[in-house]
Amino acid sequence: MNKISIENLLYNVEKPARYLGNELNSVHKEVHDKTIRYAFCFPDIYEIGMSHLGMKIMYYLLNNIDDIYCERVFAPAVDMEEEMKKHGIPLFGLESRQAITDFDFIGFTLQYELSYTNVINMLKLANVPIYSKDRNEEHPLVIFGGPCSYNSEPIADFADIIVLGEAEEVQIEIINLYREHIAKGYNKDLFLKSVAKIEGVYVPSFYEVKYNKDGTINSITPKIDDIPAKIKKRIIEDLDNAFYPEKVIVPYLDIVHDRVVLEIFRGCIRGCRFCQAGIVYRPVREKSPTRLSNLAQALLSSTGYEEISLSSLSTSDYSQLQEFVEKLIEKYSDDKIGISLPSLRLDNFSLELIKEIQKVRKTGLTFAPEAGSQRLRDVINKGLTEEDLINATEKAFASGWNNVKIYFMIGLPTETTEDLLGIKDLAFKVADIYYKTPKDQRGKGLNITVSTSTFIPKPFTPFQWEPQIKLEEIYKRQNLLKEEIKHRNITYNYHDAKTSYIEAVFARGDRKLSKALELAVDMGCKFDGWDEYFDFDRWMEIFEKTNIDPEFYVSRKREYDEVLPWDHIDVGINKEFLIRENEKAKKAEITPNCRANCSACGINQSFVGGIC
Amino acid sequence: MYKLRLKFYKKDDMVFISHLDLIRLFERAFRRSGIPISYTQGFNPRPIMAFATALGIGVSSDSEYMDIEIEDKMDVIDLITKLNEVLPTGIKALEGKYIDKKEKSLMSIINFSSYTVDITFNNEITRDNLENKLKEFLGLNEIIDKKYKKRRNKRKSNKDEFREVNIRQNIKEITIINTDINRALLKMILAAGSSANLKPEIVIEKFKDYMKLDIDTTKTRVHRTGLFTTITPEYLGPLDIVNTEDK
Ligand code: SF4
Repeated sequence: MNKISIENLLYNVEKPARYLGNELNSVHKEVHDKTIRYAFCFPDIYEIGMSHLGMKIMYYLLNNIDDIYCERVFAPAVDMEEEMKKHGIPLFGLESRQAITDFDFIGFTLQYELSYTNVINMLKLANVPIYSKDRNEEHPLVIFGGPCSYNSEPIADFADIIVLGEAEEVQIEIINLYREHIAKGYNKDLFLKSVAKIEGVYVPSFYEVKYNKDGTINSITPKIDDIPAKIKKRIIEDLDNAFYPEKVIVPYLDIVHDRVVLEIFRGCIRGCRFCQAGIVYRPVREKSPTRLSNLAQALLSSTGYEEISLSSLSTSDYSQLQEFVEKLIEKYSDDKIGISLPSLRLDNFSLELIKEIQKVRKTGLTFAPEAGSQRLRDVINKGLTEEDLINATEKAFASGWNNVKIYFMIGLPTETTEDLLGIKDLAFKVADIYYKTPKDQRGKGLNITVSTSTFIPKPFTPFQWEPQIKLEEIYKRQNLLKEEIKHRNITYNYHDAKTSYIEAVFARGDRKLSKALELAVDMGCKFDGWDEYFDFDRWMEIFEKTNIDPEFYVSRKREYDEVLPWDHIDVGINKEFLIRENEKAKKAEITPNCRANCSACGINQSFVGGIC
Repeated sequence: MYKLRLKFYKKDDMVFISHLDLIRLFERAFRRSGIPISYTQGFNPRPIMAFATALGIGVSSDSEYMDIEIEDKMDVIDLITKLNEVLPTGIKALEGKYIDKKEKSLMSIINFSSYTVDITFNNEITRDNLENKLKEFLGLNEIIDKKYKKRRNKRKSNKDEFREVNIRQNIKEITIINTDINRALLKMILAAGSSANLKPEIVIEKFKDYMKLDIDTTKTRVHRTGLFTTITPEYLGPLDIVNTEDK
């Protein structure tokens, strides 16, 4: 295979360093006859993809195996895509600068629904037929994984294989099986038939979807024998001993998260009812402080990074957080290494901890009460009280902070005007607290940012049956807040509701949507997550042309007995638990976190007996 | 604390990283090298480094300079070896000297830069013809470059504001090194530094416009060969003018 000369293109594009592929710690291998070539594709630009932890893990995991050569591929920015088309250059692996058209595997990580058009566009740029049915032994196998694969039905027709859950083990099993098949003469259909038996592997073409007259699903059943009717997700049981890279690629460019990332645990004990991650990543599994310290040391010396970030869904819930952070500070403050703790719940304890960290590097303060009133916070099971917030801000202002960001969602089930006004009240109260703080203690000039996003009822959450509120209603609520939040220290930000609408279609949709995705790419949709490229009217035109009623997916309330497009996927949580939670939500009853009391979600029965 | 001046090159793939990327790259390289670099005070401590100029994306150079401060004195050759072990292909420290702490900043002492510039025409050229055009071009008293100013307050006016600058006196020398069918390699010496700074790309654009030449400016490739504090009576660079004190 020839190396593509891209040098002349690089003079004509913005940020050419995106396409170099030779950053510190990148892996370059010699290609032999038997080399298994894997293109790990992230369907967004370099700076976003490079910030993604899963990619870093898989890159080194695969490249640690001698005969596998895993390369990175990102969506080329629009200017680069133009240059590539002009010069007839196909999508290439960054490391080898060779076309991925003839690779063994093309893997995509599905991080958000609005990147689906990029996935298909990238297949096109790679000169690979986009539909699984049109690909044969000559073509690469296309694998999807990542959080959106739990309901990947809208994009399922484009995948040969979908990996459900944590991929570290199953990805290796798939490649091992592939190696065996290659040795005895590879036949795609035979391979897919045997790969479909691996736990965590979903081969969409082997499942038939039947519909009712009203468009809802009648059944999803296996077309062949010996494959499961319900496909189980995979998890890594022993996270502490699981593979984690000791080096990571250090980009030339300033990327979104440019630092050492230590994953301290997976799963979440909280059970917020709107949160898909909190359900699908169950159960909680922690890494030990000893393992983490060793990883920190190895990663810092292999990268030269100046910051460590602790990553998880809810950092405060790491059982040995305080001791561990103190140890890190003690060990690295001389080297001026900063520590950042995203996803921290703010309480007295975490404030003290942040104060410690601030001695080395300064960060802003964020709170995520998600709803404006206590009642609505109980509905969504966000165990954060107004008192918590008031106490935390009092202390924060007294310690010199003056920059506060507060995050909310609008359109949550049962939301009323009162709840919305609660958002305003909370923000104003925070401002009052600042002015009550003695002048010599507080920082100069108060800045409060209130941000609202639009609630999307996601699969596998207790709200999966609920509709998303209508667009006009979202505008009304946003306008209300815009009118109400008039304060010289408070800025109100809100997301464009239209992107949430399209996101909802694809988060909650079924296989009928694949034709819409195909047409969307033909009509030029890409980077839909980016305001400057997102075109709502074009999307509506696409739905019309493909005879799809988006409202059917977005704003229709579903009954408990309806077959949902993702019902054949088993994330280990039983439906009864989700129904129970939804009913409790209606009564604004809270459910204690998993450490306080187990609520029998089911994960400890089907997956890991005893861990919870 | 000890101050050191280093000379390095930036070429091949590394021409595609920006000046800010380069700063980050050096910061992290110093951390990995174990060289005892000094840090700034304050909330976001950074390694103390100062560069001579910011090289544009796409421009290669044999002659970049930086000043750094280190906590413990070490042998210059050792330091360069350690640093080069952690630098990527395409960036390499070439030489260095300890300098006085009161030495003027690199940025303030640079006055000239020399380049080789590779230009491509859409048509075939002859050396004689190009010689003549160049002579005519350098004979001009005025070569005007319009500099666009970005308006801070967009609402006030939609009109672009620009300033006209005569760049003629910032061109010290242009000669032809070589020509080949539709390409030419030029040598240029231009004003550089904080008081006047002229980019070779601008000169080529003006050469094209004023002399009505069919140059494909997207194919211009620039390489810096030297940075100088003075060019007459002799060429002196940032490492030549400092007192060579003992290590
Ligand atoms: S089994 Fe119980 S403790 Fe474990 S995740 Fe489910 S609800 Fe929480």
